[in-house]
Amino acid sequence: MPITTTRRRLLAGSAAALALPAFARAQGAIKPRLTAISQWSAGSDGAAITALGKKFEEKGGVWQHSPVPGFTTEMMNKLRAQIMAGDPPACSQLKGPEIAAWSKIAPTVDLDAVVAAAGYEKVVAPDLAKLHKPGGKWIALPLQIYSTNMLFLSKRAMDKAKADKIPVTWAEFNELAEKMKAGGVPYPIANGGTRPDDGQKFEAALAGISPTSYRAAIMNLDKKALEGPEIKAAFVQVRKIADWMDPNVGAQHFSTNLKRFVDGDMGMMIMGGWAQGVLRNAGFKFDDFIIAPGPSDNSKPVFLLNADAFIFWQRKEPDLQAGQRLMAQLVMDPAIQTMYSQITGSIPVRTDVDLSGEGWSDGQRRTAAALKEAIASNQAVLSLAHNMAQENGMTAAIIDVITEYVKNKTIKPEQAVTRLAEAVEGAR
Amino acid sequence: MTIAVSTTPGRPAASEWVRRLPEYLTIWVPLLLSAAHLIAFSLWTIWISFTPSTLVPVSGWVGLRNYSSVAASRNWQIALDNLLLFGSAFVLLSLATGLILAILLDQRIRGENVLRSIFLYPLAVSFVVTGTVWSWLLNPGLGIQKLVRDLGWTSFRFDWLIDRDMAIWTIVIAAIWQSSGFAMALFLAGLRSVDADLIKAAQIDGAGPIRMYRRVILPTLWPITITVIVIQLQFAISTFDLVRALTNGGPGIATQLPALVVYDLMFQRSLLGRGAAAAVLMLLILLAVLLPYAAWRYVQRRRAIHA
Repeated sequence: MPITTTRRRLLAGSAAALALPAFARAQGAIKPRLTAISQWSAGSDGAAITALGKKFEEKGGVWQHSPVPGFTTEMMNKLRAQIMAGDPPACSQLKGPEIAAWSKIAPTVDLDAVVAAAGYEKVVAPDLAKLHKPGGKWIALPLQIYSTNMLFLSKRAMDKAKADKIPVTWAEFNELAEKMKAGGVPYPIANGGTRPDDGQKFEAALAGISPTSYRAAIMNLDKKALEGPEIKAAFVQVRKIADWMDPNVGAQHFSTNLKRFVDGDMGMMIMGGWAQGVLRNAGFKFDDFIIAPGPSDNSKPVFLLNADAFIFWQRKEPDLQAGQRLMAQLVMDPAIQTMYSQITGSIPVRTDVDLSGEGWSDGQRRTAAALKEAIASNQAVLSLAHNMAQENGMTAAIIDVITEYVKNKTIKPEQAVTRLAEAVEGAR
Repeated sequence: MTIAVSTTPGRPAASEWVRRLPEYLTIWVPLLLSAAHLIAFSLWTIWISFTPSTLVPVSGWVGLRNYSSVAASRNWQIALDNLLLFGSAFVLLSLATGLILAILLDQRIRGENVLRSIFLYPLAVSFVVTGTVWSWLLNPGLGIQKLVRDLGWTSFRFDWLIDRDMAIWTIVIAAIWQSSGFAMALFLAGLRSVDADLIKAAQIDGAGPIRMYRRVILPTLWPITITVIVIQLQFAISTFDLVRALTNGGPGIATQLPALVVYDLMFQRSLLGRGAAAAVLMLLILLAVLLPYAAWRYVQRRRAIHA
């Protein structure tokens, strides 16, 4: 569907929202204001939210964004402090099952009317929609989507391996890695050494081997699935990946090695789509690398969903309430989602945005296509490593096992399976 | 101190009390505030450790469940093993380094002031900086190993940072670099305060320098030694920023320490109750060091009074 019609519909929707009596009374006198906190302060993330703020101000609003740099959990500490002090921000970044958990500790805004007016529900992936309406009502809005298991291939490393075929299954992936090694690429896998990095390797392996098993074991924590043969197979694959990584990365961020990746000293990277934004920000060109969906043994793309979202906290001030409504409308707006994703390298939440135009990269188009296909074949699953599948406590317990396994090569895959099951039991 | 001008001995006049008000205020208000802070928050943490709190504090009673789940976790067990190794290695080695530096500096050498500043300087650097700098130096692909290899010794290996059995020693190295200057300063003060007559007497009796240190000077240093041990031990137990910057508990979870586990539980995993339980356990470990020290100090003082 072209953007113009949806935008017209959206305008009609916002007009409907304006017609709400309480709002109509407020409209004349009140200038919408929004207090927001997020972790996005620098790089493409910072640029994107600043651009969103500009749009908010263009619509006559007062934009008060306080970024908390660092990991998401550090932003959460600020959020927790503000909630406990009885002064939550009008809107904050939050995602995945944390939306449900946090909505229990402070009242949130019911967004059903605004969402219905925009006709938003029809254009959001069902699994994703569920996360944002924990009690059956919309209280949070997803903003952009990343896949955490995109496969980045270094063109120079491919040349060294004399390969031009993008691997589709894990077997092909392993074959290519061997070829790269033989062709003089010292480390066929580029990586960082942080916890989410290790977690991503495991989730990509398991979901690529069997999305059904991933759903049962990781998303539903099914005891039998957790001890199933697919888990062991995933650990075996993770060990292979670990053997191809540079052991010297220690606890470094993945972006430290991007240059070596582009230069062809490292061959492949399993990373979220955000790496595209980081690569571009670092001055590399689209010709330097290829982006494809992560390996999947049944050859249909598997999409590990990671979606950033905003949750809206109840405030009594009329200007903040007006600001919340304006923000909700902006976040759902296809033009805004387009602007945002083009800055960060993500793809829009709306499945009806057309990515064929200018400003989109091949990687983004491929990601969006993979999402559509994955939803159709029920292979769009929620990312563990990026806190979409489980709450923080459970996620951390599982990643403990994975990160130890990646770094300690004396742990056998069978042992890792047992430890994983134990860790899940301990954290329940 | 001013000379008290009081008309009735034993009971200061009201004007006197008013005049000393600023003194009382400057001493007692901050003291009471910080004591209240410390005690109130410690009690609050102890209370939270018995509740089912997760994202935010809630009331309720779960008994010792938080404690048993912390004690049973791999993270905590690894942290305790590491603490034992790190604590003893760090205290002993920083003591030894500090003492050797102090003895060498005590030889009335030229440029003593400059050297003393150099050795003390790391103490002025924040642990985060120390950790970050050492994480670069010790990284095999960037730091010392690469340097030596580039110089021509290509088989040289120094990859403790990424070796999960040896990684804890990198923290020992960085911690010693940071704080042996502090031990040195205390020891140096101790060495300088040794009674000159004692040294003269020993010299007259024909004691050589080694014998002099072993038999005469070092024995007078042992109260300082105990003070240094206690201060370094409480530092070791509460080490947080250094590890976070240097290894962040890695590789994997090989260099976990109790303070990291507390932070992780409370703020990364949002398990306030368990985090509080881990914090209380840490407090108990600290008390196990500090209470005997306080008792020892008490006995010392009593002895000094009675002597």
